[in-house]
Amino acid sequence: MRAIALLRRAQSLTALAGIVILAIAISPTAGDGSRIFLQAGNLTDILRQISLIGIISLAMTFVILTGGIDLSVGSILALSTSLVAMWLARGYTQHIAVAILVAVAASGAMGAINGGVIAATRMQPFVVTLASMIGVRGLAKWITSNQNIDIGFGRDLAAEFAATFREKAIVIGSYAVAAAIFWLVLARTVFGRHVRAVGDNERAAEYAGLPIRRTKIWVYMLSGLLSGAAGVLYAAENHQGNPNAGVAYELDAIAAVVIGGTRLSGGKGSISGTIVGTLIMGVLTNMLRLNNVDSNVEMMIKAVIIVLAVAVQREGKES
Amino acid sequence: MPTGETVRMATVLAAAGISKHYGGVYALKGAHFEVRAGEVHALMGENGAGKSTLARIVAGSTRADSGTIAIDGRAVRIASPVDAQRLGIGIIYQELDLFPSLTAGENIVIGNLHAAGQRMEAFCRPYLDQVGLECEVRRPVSSLPIGQRQLLAIARALSMSARIILMDEPTSSLSEDAAERLFGLIRDLKRSGFAIVYVSHKMDEIFRLADRATVLRDGATVGTVEMPSTSAEELIHMMVGRQLAVTARRERTAADPILMVRGLTTTMLKDVSFELRHGEVLGIAGLVGSGRSELGAALYGLDRIVSGSIEARAAIGLVPEDRRLQGLMMQMSVLENSTLRVLGRVARFGWLDRRREAAELAPVARDLALNCPSVDAPLNRLSGGNQQKVLLSRWLLARPGVLFLDDPTRGIDVGAKQDIYRMIDELAAGGAGILLVSSELPELLRCSDRILVLRDGRIAARYYARDATQEKIMAAAAFGDFIDGARC
Repeated sequence: MRAIALLRRAQSLTALAGIVILAIAISPTAGDGSRIFLQAGNLTDILRQISLIGIISLAMTFVILTGGIDLSVGSILALSTSLVAMWLARGYTQHIAVAILVAVAASGAMGAINGGVIAATRMQPFVVTLASMIGVRGLAKWITSNQNIDIGFGRDLAAEFAATFREKAIVIGSYAVAAAIFWLVLARTVFGRHVRAVGDNERAAEYAGLPIRRTKIWVYMLSGLLSGAAGVLYAAENHQGNPNAGVAYELDAIAAVVIGGTRLSGGKGSISGTIVGTLIMGVLTNMLRLNNVDSNVEMMIKAVIIVLAVAVQREGKES
Repeated sequence: MPTGETVRMATVLAAAGISKHYGGVYALKGAHFEVRAGEVHALMGENGAGKSTLARIVAGSTRADSGTIAIDGRAVRIASPVDAQRLGIGIIYQELDLFPSLTAGENIVIGNLHAAGQRMEAFCRPYLDQVGLECEVRRPVSSLPIGQRQLLAIARALSMSARIILMDEPTSSLSEDAAERLFGLIRDLKRSGFAIVYVSHKMDEIFRLADRATVLRDGATVGTVEMPSTSAEELIHMMVGRQLAVTARRERTAADPILMVRGLTTTMLKDVSFELRHGEVLGIAGLVGSGRSELGAALYGLDRIVSGSIEARAAIGLVPEDRRLQGLMMQMSVLENSTLRVLGRVARFGWLDRRREAAELAPVARDLALNCPSVDAPLNRLSGGNQQKVLLSRWLLARPGVLFLDDPTRGIDVGAKQDIYRMIDELAAGGAGILLVSSELPELLRCSDRILVLRDGRIAARYYARDATQEKIMAAAAFGDFIDGARC
């Protein structure tokens, strides 16, 4: 029994291992005969590429565990890139930290509004965050007049910000730290327990007197905060604040969560699963690109992988 | 009319040896009954006696484990509602299976084998006329009052050429006027030769309407009686049966009140007043829908209070009626479920201490004789009785001064029941006040000091447990304060 349970829990990990082995096997080789996939530069590239979606999907896991969904993460990311770029490039502040704080705080506020509306009106999270996905995108475009705000390549404050926050170590490190914190919060804190209890059975949570509204507001606010943090990294990496950034990021984040074994109906799931899900998507993308697979074909293959990953995990579902 | 007589006497439906179990619990054990054309046949029994399950089996919406059903003396197989429709069996569910956003006409023709190729108005109108429902076929069902929906559901059954119509607690949500109208229609249908199976435990209705009644108890048929030659006392006696004498409860000394309820009125409760004392177990009896669960919801603050007051001198805990729906997180572990209300006590600055959690649960689990593979096992691995114990442990850990237990032994095995009775005794001995709702009267008599009987949201009778009998409680629950009880 225990062995089967372990295997079941490790299913997404097994899938990841399979894809890594496949990636090694079909990897093109460099001049010296070594496999490009395994080169340190390539492996850290993968980690860097998954970091933004990875960060967003951590809080998305919490949201989905409560039985909700957050479609506004991509728009919030765009708002954050715009704000941090505006503050730095237009000289609203002389401190990088202030610019980041403004962007992340505004993002957290958007998330808190999502959560507040969902908790107060009991409207479906899908509808509420769909509305804010549209509205926040509009806000980002409006404050930037629908223009990209370039972050200088010269020697100004903005350039310093970009140079710092596009470092692989910073980007990957941010993801690692956020992942560790969210993993601990879910597994070890009262709040994490409330998140799972509300998603497992909201009615029972009400009868047990749990703070359902507060828990919901918090998870959406965290989702906003992490989307904002991802937006800061995005701005540095791309040297610009971009009100059109992050389109369809919500879908990638949800895919990572679902591949990681978290149930869309809530109550069951884990941060470790989401991390594995994010890695699966990242390695897959990298493998296909190294082999020059058409990006349209890449999407089709990803579609199959998502369905397969979830189908395999359903096998062990108890009735 | 000689022909009329023959039709009336013919047995149209005969069910025999019907058994059905859910998990380890039997809903029906070899139940049987026979219905004649042109009669209203009541199916009676206490909550959980199996009346509704039997009706659903005949209507094809539930499949029996074993047993035979014959229509006009010919054995038939009813595996689905469509089979039942072909055989001329229609059912009106308590919770009316209509589609609220569709129109009246659409509700009649949907899934109807007889409606194909006909204009909706032409097809529906005769049946709507037959039940006396004057409404546009285009009217959405959601805009109809509940009484008219009931009539629509009957029109629907008639339009499916039903000759045998089952009605499950049809008056449970009807006003008096609407109920009277329904009774008139039932008499008309009976005179036209329809067989009506009327599932209810409301004695007055059954005496007014039924020709015969079959009484079920614990999933088996106790007997069928002719209504003119029986009495309410006999029916009640058949329903509750001869149970073992209940050991007298030890008297509890009068203590200070811990909960005082005055004139409590909500949408479901009317002017409910009582006091609960330290160390007292106050039993709450009543049929389903009498307001017993709503009393718990009101005390716990889940329902809006229209008028009246609740004065509690201690925290109130509530173990809800439906443990899967309202109580437990089925995907979470035993430990996580039990400590859900006391996380503050086992955490420091929001961080959980798993060892302290386990240490909190251990003594309570021992007291309850909780049997689980491990405290980390997910709840869906446990038996119903152990699941219930986990839910109880959640509240035992929270140590409320007043605990409302809503049918805590429903659907669990005898051993687990005994463990729960013992726990109730211990809690009361420790000074807590217990409100105990139960559908099982012997259980109420065994555990309670006093018993309140609710009917239609009001307190119909109050008894000291030592003066109460199952018959008295049942009569008060069905009729109101019909048989005089020793008041308290």
